[in-house]
Amino acid sequence: MRKFTPLVVNEWLKMSKKKSFIVPYTLIAAAIAGMLYMMYAFSQEKLGFLDFASMAIARNGLGQMTTLLVIICTAGIVAKEHSLGTIKLLLIRSQSRSRILASKYVAVLLFTLSLFVFSLAVALLGGGLVYGFGSASVQGISWSEVLTNTLYSFIYTVVYVTITFLASILTRSTGATIGIGMFLVVLEELVVALLSRYAFAKYLIFANADLSVYLNGNPPMPGMTLTFSSVVIAAYLVLFLAVSFVTFKKRDVA
Amino acid sequence: MQQQSIGNTAQGMGAAAVKSQGQGHEPVVLSVQKVTKAIGNKRLVDKLSFEIRRGEIVGLLGPNGAGKTTTIRMIVGLIGMTEGDVKIKGFSIRNHFMQAIAHVGAIIENPEFYPYMTGYDNLKQYARMSEGITEERIQEVTRLVGLEKAMKKRVKAYSLGMRQRLGIAQALLHRPSILILDEPTNGLDPAGIREMRDYLKRIAAEEGIAVLVSSHLLAEMELMCSRVVVIQEGKFVTERALGEPVEKTEERVNVTFRVGDVEAAKTRLIRMEEIRLLGMTPERNEVTVAVRDSYIPRVVSALGSEGIAIYRIEEVKQSLEDEFLKWTGGNQIA
Repeated sequence: MRKFTPLVVNEWLKMSKKKSFIVPYTLIAAAIAGMLYMMYAFSQEKLGFLDFASMAIARNGLGQMTTLLVIICTAGIVAKEHSLGTIKLLLIRSQSRSRILASKYVAVLLFTLSLFVFSLAVALLGGGLVYGFGSASVQGISWSEVLTNTLYSFIYTVVYVTITFLASILTRSTGATIGIGMFLVVLEELVVALLSRYAFAKYLIFANADLSVYLNGNPPMPGMTLTFSSVVIAAYLVLFLAVSFVTFKKRDVA
Repeated sequence: MQQQSIGNTAQGMGAAAVKSQGQGHEPVVLSVQKVTKAIGNKRLVDKLSFEIRRGEIVGLLGPNGAGKTTTIRMIVGLIGMTEGDVKIKGFSIRNHFMQAIAHVGAIIENPEFYPYMTGYDNLKQYARMSEGITEERIQEVTRLVGLEKAMKKRVKAYSLGMRQRLGIAQALLHRPSILILDEPTNGLDPAGIREMRDYLKRIAAEEGIAVLVSSHLLAEMELMCSRVVVIQEGKFVTERALGEPVEKTEERVNVTFRVGDVEAAKTRLIRMEEIRLLGMTPERNEVTVAVRDSYIPRVVSALGSEGIAIYRIEEVKQSLEDEFLKWTGGNQIA
């Protein structure tokens, strides 16, 4: 039984050794700074740092932008190996293809997680610097709510990242993968709106990906609950990953 | 006991078995068994079988599109096979991929690396994927291919020759029993080709690593390989040992004489038994005959006694290229 961690380390290094690696972190920091400035300068609302962090991390805040950044940064994780030709050297090691693919997926999740932890840290810090660390929240938002928000936003991103991962394997092209990923993120609301009169729409992944709607207590469509959406998300993720792994395992690398 | 059985199988192969001295008793490292790759009705590789023993350098030859690359990719498990199996040190690449591939080091086409990483970082990637590769081993292979000075540079700054060397380093890292190289000299300059050839010969001789090389550069194969396997349209054509030093005196050799008077030489030579006239080139004053080795001195003295001046005596050897064209039908572009 060979160790799995070194494979994840490999994948992480392949991402982090690129010069462009700091770009998403920089953009997120810049976006948070911008948001903070706007809120402080133009909003009459009184905020605490937890209020700000909770807003910033939500899907409607930075969540969607983070998703796009992760899509752009991870679209190449399988496709680039094909276009560089390194896949030939990668797959002739004494490692099964499933394990190699699993290490890639884990690396993508770690990268996503790192972006979220970074966003949260910057948002809390920035909020604290601007509104003062004394008053945690004016609107009565607790730490656990901030963390739940972050978790839901993370899950939302993971859904799209998994779709991108699948697209990366199927298309073997970084450009096409980014295109597909961004297209879906941008069009999800439109698709849901257009199809919402049909009953089957509530089984669409797009309608369920954002769990934060349940925090306010109003489901997007009748009959949907937090549990329902969680199950739908889990089912889709399993499906996407199954297709990814089967395709990757069976593929002839020419 | 095991030695015995290996010897027997080699003999069992009869005429096809290659008579390179002593190597018949080395253990088989790679065994390709009736491997077939079919896409639709087209058979890219059709029931191809051959074996490679320890320390051998075997060339896989064939015209473009003969199925060399497909065969090599099936051997290393990059593409699946429709029928047949490949055994590496007894492990099936289909059923025991991880054990089988652990004995293989390979470069498939040009070696490609992560250009934004240094040579060292690239090697380290592959080191992490196999077990028991120490820092010393990385240094050792780096020295072997002479890249010590370039290890801290990014691969995008490497020349093709340097990448080719890094490719070899990568392939040797986990101490494989067989090295598989697909078109290893593609894009290398003459010095690079020669260097590559010397590496491979040294590795095969010193470490007993078997080497399988595919190429259509015949002259190159002739210099590098101890044996060639020729395939065409996915099928086995022939197998030939190269560079056999012992020539039996009973066998006829083809010899060209350059003489002062071709016509006179021809008339004289025709009178001799045991000689077959193969052809003559009057404009170059040359006569070519097939004759036994032991008979040559008599031909010389016969011509001499007729007063025919001899300027040159040359053996006409069939080059691998001639043979190759004969095997593959010649009209194909090689």
